[in-house]
Amino acid sequence: MEKRYLRHYSVSEWNDDAQNKLKNSSVLVAGAGGLGSPLLYYLASAGIGNITIVDDDIIEDSNLNRQILFNETDIGQPKAETALNKLFSLNSSINICAVHSTVEELDDEFYKKQDLLIDCLDNFETRLFLNRKSITHSIPLLHAGVSEFRGQITLTEPGKTLCLACFLDSENENFNDGIIGAAAGVIGSIQALEAIKYLALRKNYLANRILLIDLINMRFNLINAARNKNCNECS
Amino acid sequence: MKITVRLFATFRENREKESTIETAPGTKVEDVVRTFNIPPEDVAIIMINGRGKTLKDVLSEGDVLALFPPVGGG
Repeated sequence: MEKRYLRHYSVSEWNDDAQNKLKNSSVLVAGAGGLGSPLLYYLASAGIGNITIVDDDIIEDSNLNRQILFNETDIGQPKAETALNKLFSLNSSINICAVHSTVEELDDEFYKKQDLLIDCLDNFETRLFLNRKSITHSIPLLHAGVSEFRGQITLTEPGKTLCLACFLDSENENFNDGIIGAAAGVIGSIQALEAIKYLALRKNYLANRILLIDLINMRFNLINAARNKNCNECS
Repeated sequence: MKITVRLFATFRENREKESTIETAPGTKVEDVVRTFNIPPEDVAIIMINGRGKTLKDVLSEGDVLALFPPVGGG
């Protein structure tokens, strides 16, 4: 047992098998922004063995209210590579790959080797592209979104659960782009927790359920959701 | 016919979070959304009895309609 994971082993249900599953897992994180920042810190520190970060953005000062991977000195640098450097200093025993690209430009080979796709994107159109990759390659997709003080999270498994297109409309980009940084922190952290639960324990994750988080009123709603039989993508 | 409408997040501001309303047969989701003074373009997720639907879908007796605003940032 590696000492850095000692506190995992004090958790009931945790054992070598669970830790090794994390070590042997490959995840693709689409977006190293407000959600991606806390998520990537927790995935790297938990010991997920292979992390691919995809983001084509450059760090701007307006990112710093929520994208806690980055400092003032990082402004002007590419997000993916900067995130890699920060995470490598946190955990040098894992493999991290940074790709300065959009998810649309990414070669299919990147997708095929993943155990989980993680959606930390900032628009529905790209989310639905990632959803199509999830279905095409039969790879689960962990979705989250955040806006103002609110967020939503669900995990889709092709052939078993609803997909993102069952309930999201690519034409509805009519959301407020304001985000309180701590809200992205809470929702990105829950998203990381879901990834860890799915990869290590395969239980109690958000399949066919959507967690709706309203942090201005401190309300958490877990709603059941099923496949849309008329879905253009998965039915 | 009677249907139950559940509103989430910002849709609850100055509205009941859950209400049962009487509607005519053939009523579409969009009609109900307008009844609640919610602009249709502000609705991102529509569920009828836990399944994703659209503004154009027709409601049936006893349906539970849930409406969610978009949460699209990241």
